[in-house]
Amino acid sequence: MARNQIHSIFLSAFALVAALIASRPAAAQDAKQPYPSMAPVEQYLMDRDAEIALARSAAPDAISHDASVIVLTRHGYETAVQGKNGWVCWVGRGWMAMFDHPEFWNPKIRAADCLNPPAARSVLPYAYKRTELLLAGHSKPEVIAAIKSAIEKKELPALEQGTVSYMMSKSSYLTDSGDHNGPHLMFFQTNKNDATWGANLTNSPVLSVNYWYLSVEAYPQLKSFPPLSVFLVVVDKWSDGTPAPPM
Amino acid sequence: MRKKKVGAIAIKSFAMLVVFGTACQAMAQDAKTTYPSMAPIEQYLMPDQGSEIALARSASPDSISRDAEVLVLGRHGFETAVKGKNGFVCIVERSWTSAADPDFWNPKVRTPICYNAAAARSVLLRNTKRTNLILAGRTQAQVDEAIFAAVDKKELSAMGPGAMCYMMSKQGYGGDSVEHWPSHLMFFYSQTDPATWGAGLPGSPILAMSDDHEHVTTFAIGVQRWSDGTEAR
Repeated sequence: MARNQIHSIFLSAFALVAALIASRPAAAQDAKQPYPSMAPVEQYLMDRDAEIALARSAAPDAISHDASVIVLTRHGYETAVQGKNGWVCWVGRGWMAMFDHPEFWNPKIRAADCLNPPAARSVLPYAYKRTELLLAGHSKPEVIAAIKSAIEKKELPALEQGTVSYMMSKSSYLTDSGDHNGPHLMFFQTNKNDATWGANLTNSPVLSVNYWYLSVEAYPQLKSFPPLSVFLVVVDKWSDGTPAPPM
Repeated sequence: MRKKKVGAIAIKSFAMLVVFGTACQAMAQDAKTTYPSMAPIEQYLMPDQGSEIALARSASPDSISRDAEVLVLGRHGFETAVKGKNGFVCIVERSWTSAADPDFWNPKVRTPICYNAAAARSVLLRNTKRTNLILAGRTQAQVDEAIFAAVDKKELSAMGPGAMCYMMSKQGYGGDSVEHWPSHLMFFYSQTDPATWGAGLPGSPILAMSDDHEHVTTFAIGVQRWSDGTEAR
């Protein structure tokens, strides 16, 4: 698996997190994308039991067995299983990627993810908010504005320290590119500088992206959002313990 | 077994975590006999500074270490041999900060590590202070006491956000217990429950160790390649 494919996966996996949008002639931007608009909502939904199983497959059973599981409905995510270890497993859809991501509306994206307690408390609320607004039919600029407002009113939490997310499912579909998948861990940091972890440098096992956008040109409003980076470390096994192909 | 089990802050390598318990305990008796006290200082030094710099830099990909500060061991402690410009600091740590207890005085231990800026301000300072004390002739117990006191008085910094290091060298010597560490990254946090990261659970790619005395939890994650890009498994 080529490194640029890993990066592509990461960009999509990054979706599992949550971000904001901004405004700009979004129509012009989206027209160049393979998925310019939202597909019928049915295409994003899954059988409930299958979604629970897929969500749990993001992490080893020792973690996901006792995790809460949330599933997507027509109006947003809802709790399907109440856990007891503070972790939350779920299946992200394409719109959890940066708002200018080309696969934002890709209905095939199924990104299984298990968030540790700090991430569940401080990252997941952004995903809920974004999902509810988009499913209610709001445009990307409207969603961006709403999230910005929620941040300013402290209705959305600040990032906690020690956030980790497991994305080790063998069954995820993270991108149309390459093998579509790869096991990895993600870490959320408030710093602006990839270099602090030596990310994205030749032979570094660490990749990072801005949480909010691929290019701030697409949605300049995102410039004013709190700095947030996502760091990814590829691991060598799937959640079931079987070896993953080298990346 | 007080701090001995946990060891110095740098004794949190991936390999050590792996072998903790059975391997270390099994070998402890023999190793204590093998390395009962500090060897002559010359045995810990590397005669060629260029070799030590190269070994230190091998801890991370060249894209990181070529612009890093490099420390080398002198008779009284670590000294700056190369000034850096990216915030990373690369070093070849010795047994008293980077080996399992049985190898505490093993003069052959050479552990290349590249710390990022946040870790250099916290973890590395503790290890260089520990080294200074060791080379000044303090006992292991005296060093522990001094380090714990400095941590408690906040003379040594708590772990800053994002503190981490690279241990991806194909070279080095971890000790008789574990001759070579797997290629890995380590992340440092102020006392955190390892369960928060799912560390140490069956199937988890993360290992962790908490040091109650130094108020540090270290997480280690194995990676697929050595620093030179070759496959590590």
